[in-house]
Amino acid sequence: MSWLPASGPGRDDFERSFALRPELFAAWREFAGIFWEKRLVDPVLLELCRLRVAQLHGARHALSTRTPEALQAGLDEAKLARLAEWWKQPGFTALERAALRFAEQFVLDPGAMSDEEARPVIEALGDAGTVAFIEALAIFDGFGRFCRMLDVQPVGASA
Amino acid sequence: MSAPRVRPPKQRGSDPITGSALGHQPEALLAFLKLYGTLWSHGVLDQATKELARIRNARIVNCAICKSIRFEGARKEGLSEAQVEQIRDGYETSALSPRQKLVLRYTDVFLSGEPEPDAALRSEMLAHFTPAELVELTAGLALFMGFSKIAVSLGGMPDSLPVNVQPTPDWPLPAAGG
Repeated sequence: MSWLPASGPGRDDFERSFALRPELFAAWREFAGIFWEKRLVDPVLLELCRLRVAQLHGARHALSTRTPEALQAGLDEAKLARLAEWWKQPGFTALERAALRFAEQFVLDPGAMSDEEARPVIEALGDAGTVAFIEALAIFDGFGRFCRMLDVQPVGASA
Repeated sequence: MSAPRVRPPKQRGSDPITGSALGHQPEALLAFLKLYGTLWSHGVLDQATKELARIRNARIVNCAICKSIRFEGARKEGLSEAQVEQIRDGYETSALSPRQKLVLRYTDVFLSGEPEPDAALRSEMLAHFTPAELVELTAGLALFMGFSKIAVSLGGMPDSLPVNVQPTPDWPLPAAGG
């Protein structure tokens, strides 16, 4: 359980922690869910990036979950097993590799991202898709850190 | 100033946010503004503390837009420009209060490669903030950092901008022209 000495209602540690600010959590859910519900970016591509960002942060809660929309769209668990070394593993498309590179640079230092690194993603996703992709990365990065900061436990850990 | 990677939509209004590249996703933008307004104006943590964390983030991520903005609510609560000037490396020896320095240390850990406070920092945070305030501060940091990184990633960032005092984000949005 998180180091916070209080919690609200919820199915897992993330929900019980965030539920201490219920209005904020409700607004967060609305924003964070829109990328999946409205299919603003391909859900499998987005899930690969979400989990890669979680790997970089060691965010155990995020790593313990799978987004339903990505599962429905054919997310491949065998591929996820290779995600930590995607750059030297087979089976990732050119767009997936470009998006993963972009996601990693976003987490580490977006100011150091080159136009050459960004271009394949922008060309493939278009302006609207790129904006959605970057906004989703902000959620993955920010709330992966949120989970590490508060020591949010993975799904299935005892409360 | 670098060239923007994503240009604003052609049919754009005069509002600096909705008229920016973010306007390509109007539904997501509206949801974000609701989230941000809830954080700032319907929270349990004082606005000056959130502003302190936001400005520290802006300076570390190096977002010229975020660095230039000051929110009115925090100013009204007493966060002066003289204090803002001290939100820089070396703040530990500044005249900022112990509580303010604590927030900056927490922010620095959040933004680091190992975003995990040690036992001493956790204990200090719990001595100064309620659990609900800690959730709000940590979620705020996630949004501040995320928004700064979005702005940097989209390109077209000027090198610097003058300080610009703005109304504190709120939800529902204030009426246009009001």
